[in-house]
Parts: sequence; structure tokens; C-alpha cells
Amino acid sequence: MAETAESRLARAREALAGVQRRVGTTRETWDAPTLPLAPVLDGLLPQGLRRGQVIAVAGSTSLMLALAAAASEAGSWTAAVGMPSLGVVAAARRGLELARLALVPYPGAQAAAAAGACVDGMDVILLGPRLALSEADRRRLASRARERGAVIVADGAWTGAHVTLAAVGSRWEGLGAGDGRLRGRELTVRVEERRGGIARLVTVPLDGLGVPVRRGGGVPAVPGHVRALGGAA
Amino acid sequence: MSVVTVVRRAVLWVPDWPVVAAMTEAGLGADVPAAVLHGRGLVAVSAAARAAGVTRGSTRRLAQRACPDLAILPHDEGRDSRLFESVAAAAEQAVSGVEISRPGLMIIPADGAARFHGSEEALAEALVTAVAEHAGVECAVGAADGLLAAVLAARSAELVPAGASREYLAPASIDSLALAAMERVQRQEVERLASVLARLGIVTLGDLAALPFADILARFGPVGVWAHRLASGEDLAPPVLRRTEEDIAVEHVFEDPAERVEQLVHVAKEAAIALDRALLDAGMRCGRVRITARTEKGQDLERVWRTDVGTRAGAFARHMTDRVRWQLEGWLSGTAGSTTGDKGPEPSPLVSLGLVAEDVVPRGSEQAYLWGGVSGADSRAHRALERVQGLLGLEGVLAVAEQGGRSPRDRAHLAPWGQEAPPARAIAHPWPGRIPDPPPATVPPVARPALVLDAGGAPVAVSQRLAVSAPPTWVRLEADPSDDRARAANRHPSSGHVGRVDGPVWDRPRPVESWAGPWPVSERWWSEDASRRAYLQVALRDGEGTVTAVLLAYGGGEWRLEAVYD
Repeated sequence: MAETAESRLARAREALAGVQRRVGTTRETWDAPTLPLAPVLDGLLPQGLRRGQVIAVAGSTSLMLALAAAASEAGSWTAAVGMPSLGVVAAARRGLELARLALVPYPGAQAAAAAGACVDGMDVILLGPRLALSEADRRRLASRARERGAVIVADGAWTGAHVTLAAVGSRWEGLGAGDGRLRGRELTVRVEERRGGIARLVTVPLDGLGVPVRRGGGVPAVPGHVRALGGAA
Repeated sequence: MSVVTVVRRAVLWVPDWPVVAAMTEAGLGADVPAAVLHGRGLVAVSAAARAAGVTRGSTRRLAQRACPDLAILPHDEGRDSRLFESVAAAAEQAVSGVEISRPGLMIIPADGAARFHGSEEALAEALVTAVAEHAGVECAVGAADGLLAAVLAARSAELVPAGASREYLAPASIDSLALAAMERVQRQEVERLASVLARLGIVTLGDLAALPFADILARFGPVGVWAHRLASGEDLAPPVLRRTEEDIAVEHVFEDPAERVEQLVHVAKEAAIALDRALLDAGMRCGRVRITARTEKGQDLERVWRTDVGTRAGAFARHMTDRVRWQLEGWLSGTAGSTTGDKGPEPSPLVSLGLVAEDVVPRGSEQAYLWGGVSGADSRAHRALERVQGLLGLEGVLAVAEQGGRSPRDRAHLAPWGQEAPPARAIAHPWPGRIPDPPPATVPPVARPALVLDAGGAPVAVSQRLAVSAPPTWVRLEADPSDDRARAANRHPSSGHVGRVDGPVWDRPRPVESWAGPWPVSERWWSEDASRRAYLQVALRDGEGTVTAVLLAYGGGEWRLEAVYD
């Protein structure tokens, strides 16, 4: 036996040190492990928006924006990959800083490379529903995000996501029969965590009174005469 | 009470500068009667026109009655200041530094320059000669202590002896205060003050200077203080001299007009490297680069790009090469500007290319953010986005901004990352009829077709008078393209089709829970992209306890899905 226990131990220690040099072990503990999250969403993610996590969101673009909003406001960079129909005004009202938001609307066949580059440089990456990503690409992205401390918020299913949020119910108020306007909204979300536990149902007030809306909240009055004309039918 | 030591200064004044500049640009001779019209009145009148009886402030019709062959030229502040540069450059042949107070008026500290030329008379003569020779413009020069006295002296081409400014100003009318106001807003304020003072019986500057300073401050505030100081022959601030520096620029003229992208790739690289070298030689770095090109048809194209890479060795040339190439490709193919909504220039071969460095700062003294420096995260994000842009091309990465508008789509402004394209419409404007908040989170880039049906399944229409033909009861949206069941259902004979289906694949009808509208929006009726639509907010029931809200627009007999509140 050429190799003694000591030399194997030394080799293992050396390999570990190499990995630590390359990746850094203290990142998760020393670098702030969570990104800021709007207090409204505390019920969904009680542990906060952990860096390095993948969050799958089904059925609500607003929820994706709300997840990214507080972090963006605090200085994080956000990229939206494969979301050509992202509502820019909605993003701004939710609190995203548009100067630190980049859209990659049509990555096409380069989706994996584009998303990978974004994971390397940005803090929050929103991924659209129809991206050309294979399962292997997704695993690679997730591990890259873990390494870099980025958060991936993906629209649609994602195998191995840390948290899966599915909008299962949504209630709007403010509309009548030909009158009113959309005002408030309650979203019921099913929260499933990878780390066991049964799915929870959480109701979040996403829009409307009592929900802090950032700058420019000036709501123009609905023109009253329009209602009189339109409601005649 | 003097806070600033009074500086002896010479003032160079070009009479009627706006009209002189306009005539220079229009190529008219000095003897042609001409006037510059702004709004309803004439703002400047040439000497020939004044001799014919045209006065400043009169309307176009009055002026034309006094002088039928009067040339009326448009008002353009940019032109005034642009052309005054040549006058300033001419004056700099005689003196070393000038302050341009406003187009038409220049301030020169007189002491040093007069010593150099021998006397103030010699200085004035040198200035008038230099401006007449190099710029071809008649001007008047005066000198005095203090700003207002010098400006007044220039208007009558006088040299007021040192220390005599107060006496020189005393008999002048109170209205002449406005001559020392350098901006339009300030001018209006000063004119208001002068009219109040005149009504109070203070008609000369001497009367104003005789008033106690504290009372002026108490009654008229900062404007009063400003006026009192000037009327007493004092100064507000020493002249700020401009320094002229050569632009750091690169120019490339194509031997043959470039028509193909392949011809440009090399040129873009060469030009970027040349600019990088020029910046390096000057020890500078720049924050923005203006790319200009001239087409064969004589059209000038220009676009400003941000560059945040100055500190990385060699990166600037690489970075700029890509941007110059993209920009030139866009201009050649006529696609530039398609994302910003405005129409790009007509595709045409290019004859020359220019790069000008802007926001130039010495290397190492880059401007940091207001709070703290440029963070590592920011430069990391920029690098990542540049990489993606290199991967996907110019329009692969978009920067977003909010702009004014009524529909959610109009309110988003998209531009290629790194390109400077200011939003087309101001948010601050009122935008009556804007779709009320909350804004929708999903706004398809192009409105999708939709069907709105009444209880009997007949299409709902909105009349000219905004009456809905029947309450909307069912809405059919386009099906998900991957939804095979919807496609099969559409092919089924029961749906009214046989064989191949043209047009959209409809999803199942969804019941309307509640709705609001129609809200009319009639936009840009004067232009080609006029639109007249009626918007409807509809909440659709999507199963137990789930409601999807959508924004629909009716126009031209068809319904379209504008946005989804998802």
C-alpha cells in the first residue's frame, strides 16, 4: 500500500482548500444570505428571499415582480429573460428600479447561455415560461445561482426548485356591471417547499388599499360621463 | 455690502444677435430687412427692417404692413448659441479668455487684456476688428466696473472710467436692469420688478441705489437684492472664463460608399481603436460616445452610446467596435430605431463615419455615484449584460423606462441596452383617459385577438356613441400555442370549420364575472398612426375562486387583448 492514511488525509484537505479558494466557503454565512423581501410576502417565504435559491412561480407575473421588487429597490440588479410581455409600468409600480432592470426578451436558442450570463452578473433573474432550457441546463443554472448567490424566479414548473409558488385563486374587487375599475386583488398562493412539509395556502393582498405602492401612485379618476354613456346599453 | 470685488470688464455686444444668426444661416445679406418671429411677436429685428419701421414685439401682420419684403425667420435658441461660438472664437484671437453670458453678449475681464493691448481703446479696437474679420459680424465693445455698467457701456460703445460706474448708471432707466438678466426666466422676473418699481416712482437706477439695502431685501427679496447691487455698480460674481479644448474625435471617410455590412466591420474596429488611442494619448476616458454617419443622400445620422468600460485595459476598443458595428448595421438596413417606436432613417449607403468622445474626464477621476462609488455589483451586471448583448446582438438586451401614454403598451419605453434614447413622451403630462392603475403585469408586445360575446353568443360591438350592444357575457382568448386540445377543438366540424383553420386558435369561452367600461381613447388623430379605441376591463371566471382580469380594446370592429392582470 503506497498511500498512508495521513497522505490521503492531506490530499483531501488540499482538495478541499482548493475548492474553498475557488468557490469560497464563507459566502453563505458572511455575505448576507437573504435579499430584502416586501413585508406583504413574508407569509409566502417566511425564511426570506434566500440567495442561491430557485423559486418557481406558476400563474402570476405580478407575484414574480413582487418577489424581485424589494431587492431591486435596495440596489440589486434584475434581469428578465424570455419575458417579452413584461409590463414595465407594473414593474415600476411594484417597486423595481427600472434603471437596474434589463430585458432579454427573445433569447431563442441561446437561452441557456444568456440566462447563465445573467446569473453570473445579476442578483435576481426572472425566467419566462417558454425558454429553450433542458433539464440539464436548468440544473446547471441552479447550481450556478447557488455558487453566485443569485436568485432565480422562474415562471412555470422547475424540477428541484427550493420553493414552488402556484397562484391557485385570485379575487379582484372594484369591477361592476359596466362600471367601476379594478382596484384591489387578493391572490391565494399554494406554497410548496422542497424541504418537506405539506403545501400551505397563503392569501396575499397584492394590489389595492393598504398595499404600499411606490411613487406615482396618483390614480386618475375614472371619467364619469363614460359610464353614463356606456352603461346605457 | 459688497460680497464680490468689482471686476473691471469689457463687454462685447452684437446688436440683434438672433436675427444676425438667422440671417447668417439663411444666407441673407446684411442689407435685407429680416426679423425673427417667436410665438406671436418678433423677438429681433435687423437694422434694415428697423429703418423700414418694423419694431420688436410687433406681430407678423403689422411688420409685413410696414415692410412688405421683410424676411421672417424662425426662432431657434440652439442656432443662436451655436453660431455665437464662431464669434467667441474670433474674439479669442484678441484676448485669451471670454465668458459667454448669453448668445450675443460676451464678457472679458478688462485689466489684463487692456494691459496687453496697451489701453482699453486698443483692446476695444482689437476686439471689433477680430470679430469683423474672423466672424464677419459687426459688434460694439464697452468697458466699465461692474456688470450692468459694462453692459450699458457696450450698447453705446463707451469706456466708463474706473470708479465712475455708479454715477454712470444713476440716470439710466430702471428698465435697463433687464439687460443684465441672462436667462429668460430671470428676465421675466426682473421685468416684473422693474415695472413695480416704476409704478412706485423709482424710475432711474440712481433712485434704486439710493434706497436702503435692508428695506429692498425686506420688500423685494432676492430679486431686489440682485437689482440693488447691480444698480449700485457692484458685481454678483466674477466672470467665468471658458476654456476651449479640442474634441477627441475620429473621422473616417469611406472611399466608396459602404453598402454592405462586411465593408463596415473592419472600419468599425479601426475607428474604435483609433478613438481608444486618442483617448489614451490625451490621458482621458469618456462616459459616452457619439456615433455619427452621413449617408449618400446627405442625411446626417447620429446616436449616443454609453460606455462604462474605460478602466479595463483594451476593453474600450472591443466594446466600441461592437457598438459601432451594430449602429452602422442598423443604419444600413434601416432597422435602427424600430424598438423605440420612431421610424429609422431610410436605408442608404454611408459615406463617412465619425466618433466623438463625450463626458470626457481625466483618467482616474471618474465621477462616482452620489452616494459611494461605482459598486462591484454594478460593473458585474454591466459586464454580464454586455456579454448577453454580444451573444444576441444589439436588440437582444433592452433597457426599460417609463414614459407618458394612455395604454399600458404606450407607457413602456424600450431601447437597446447602452444606447441613449430619451423617452418620447413626458410622464408629467396629464394623459386624460389613461387606463387607471393598477397597471397590468403582462402586456403582449402586439395586441392579441379576442372575441367578446353576449349571452346568446353573438359578438358584442361598441357604437360610435360608446354604447355597448349587449352586456359582455363570454370572452374567448387565443389558446396557448402548445395546447393541442384547443387546436383539435377548433378543427372539429362543430366549431364551424372544416379542414385547416385560418386565423387564431380560440380557447374555450370563459364567463365574464364583472366588467367596466367602455373607456374611449382617441389618440393622434392628426397623424398616420391615429387610433380610436374603447377599452374594457373584464374579470373572467377561470374556475372555482379564480378570476383573471384582462384589458380588452375595441377598434375597427374587432376586439383585442391589450393586457392581462395576472
